[in-house]
Amino acid sequence: MSRVKLYLQLILIQLQSMMEYRAVFLFGAVAQALAYGAHFLLIWVMVNKFDGIAGWSPYEVTLLYGLNLFSYSTAGIFCLNSFYGLGGMIRSGEFDNVLTKPLNPFLLISFRQFNYGYFSHLSLSGFVIALSWARLEIPVTGTNLLFLLVTLVSGALIQAAMFIFTGVPAFWIVRSEGLAEILMWDVGYFVRYPITVYNSGIQILLTLIVPYAFVSFYPVQFFLAKNDVCMFHPVFRFLSPVVGAAMFAAAYRFWRFGLDRYESTGS
Amino acid sequence: MAIIEVNRVCKDFHVHTRRPGILSSVKSLFWREYEVKKAVQDISFQIAQGELVGYIGPNGAGKSTTVKMLSGILVPTSGSILVDGRTPHLNRQENARHMGVVFGQRSQLYWDLPMVETFDLYRKMYRIDEPRFRENVAFYVDLLDMQEFLHRPVRQLSLGQKMRANLAVALLHDPKIVYLDEPTIGLDVVGKSRIRRFLREVNEQKKTTVILTTHDMDDIEEICNRIIMIHEGRILFDGLLADFKRKFSKGHMLTVECAQADVSVPDPRLRVIRDQDGRASILFQPNEITVVEAVTCVMQHNRVLDLGIREPEIEEIIREFYEDMKQV
Repeated sequence: MSRVKLYLQLILIQLQSMMEYRAVFLFGAVAQALAYGAHFLLIWVMVNKFDGIAGWSPYEVTLLYGLNLFSYSTAGIFCLNSFYGLGGMIRSGEFDNVLTKPLNPFLLISFRQFNYGYFSHLSLSGFVIALSWARLEIPVTGTNLLFLLVTLVSGALIQAAMFIFTGVPAFWIVRSEGLAEILMWDVGYFVRYPITVYNSGIQILLTLIVPYAFVSFYPVQFFLAKNDVCMFHPVFRFLSPVVGAAMFAAAYRFWRFGLDRYESTGS
Repeated sequence: MAIIEVNRVCKDFHVHTRRPGILSSVKSLFWREYEVKKAVQDISFQIAQGELVGYIGPNGAGKSTTVKMLSGILVPTSGSILVDGRTPHLNRQENARHMGVVFGQRSQLYWDLPMVETFDLYRKMYRIDEPRFRENVAFYVDLLDMQEFLHRPVRQLSLGQKMRANLAVALLHDPKIVYLDEPTIGLDVVGKSRIRRFLREVNEQKKTTVILTTHDMDDIEEICNRIIMIHEGRILFDGLLADFKRKFSKGHMLTVECAQADVSVPDPRLRVIRDQDGRASILFQPNEITVVEAVTCVMQHNRVLDLGIREPEIEEIIREFYEDMKQV
């Protein structure tokens, strides 16, 4: 219990620090919301212009986008500064300090480097999900809400696992940010659209290798009563929690593996 | 009973060797060549509870690597380390609970928090019970004279104040061992001596074991009673400060100013190393010839105007030592 309080305090300290520079924070939050808002509009306009893509209507595509951004931001709140930022912490020697604390370093960095910046993405994507949900007239039932919650949590676990997988190589290659940039952002952008618009190679990649399709593409079909499963089985729409848990567990193992090989930097 | 036992520890680093040219850069994407750098080679020592140990050596000698292994940050390549009965890297969190660290300029503090709040955070982190917490805060605030900056955000503190704050935080949970890497670096004379006095005081009152790496030999002289000297990953000396001086010192230095031009010193135990216009520097080993004998000899054979005698300073011994090592 006292540990929970400690981690909460670490989050609050971040908030307190941020409030010291609130103008910078607010400016950044607004800029991010505008940039992502523009993405959202662009997708909507484009899909609307073409009367849907691959059989998906504009609001179906924006629902994909919303789920995707929501789970990404949830993961990013804990994982951006800690795992994407791991290389920087190693270079500055800050990571040595982390290891001298009587706490689990994985939890310590996730909470201590809590990123409030993602709350603007979170509110934008929450709005997009609600709007798309309403326009698509998806019934608000207990089952649907529960499925939505499970989808968001599983999606966040997958995204967090990707942050960890791309961050941990910093233990060997001190500058490894490029890996995250390719796998997290460049590949991640594919799943803003239904993956059936791509060729089968990319569909396989996004399902089996970098399983972003489980963040939104498969589970969202539950709400939309779609059967757009490309080459895979319809049961895939229920597999997100399994994929999320397995990926996160594997990512944690990978983290432990990297940690044992940490070589610090000279000082 | 030793609180730290280091037994035949080695630590190798794999350093990625780079070759010039774009082609080899591309090649290194797929195949990397590594060179093994032996940072620490077969070192062993034991430290008892309450010792004040100075761990010295030139840059790159392996000091930080050793301290990082003791604190559980790095995993030794071979050999064993026991700190208070635990292997640090296998019991990292438990080991951390009983140690304090100050790694030079790298701060343990929160930039935007005042010290009062930082103390509170560390109270939770180390689960310090309330009475002991209050007692220790009072003790350190008083001993380190922190009252005036307790409520100011850390970013506004001076270097000396930040170092004091770091020390207080590192010691707040009454660790059995504290590792200090260059605790006086960049401080002014007053600041340095305050920290040295503080460390002695804490050691005396709480029996804290202090392991200190430094390049400032006054730190060693004023804080430590034992030194371990490491060079190129190997221990060259481990023992009392006085023994270190005896072993590595070239001797006492007698400087004389005489009325005549040439200084005459007939005793072979006295070595004239400089003689210019009646000013001479004479080196002797106090175990071969006593100070009184040496002075008497010089006085008898010369018309001495002025005379001075100086014990070797550790700084000088070490400097000469490093220079000798480089020449080898």
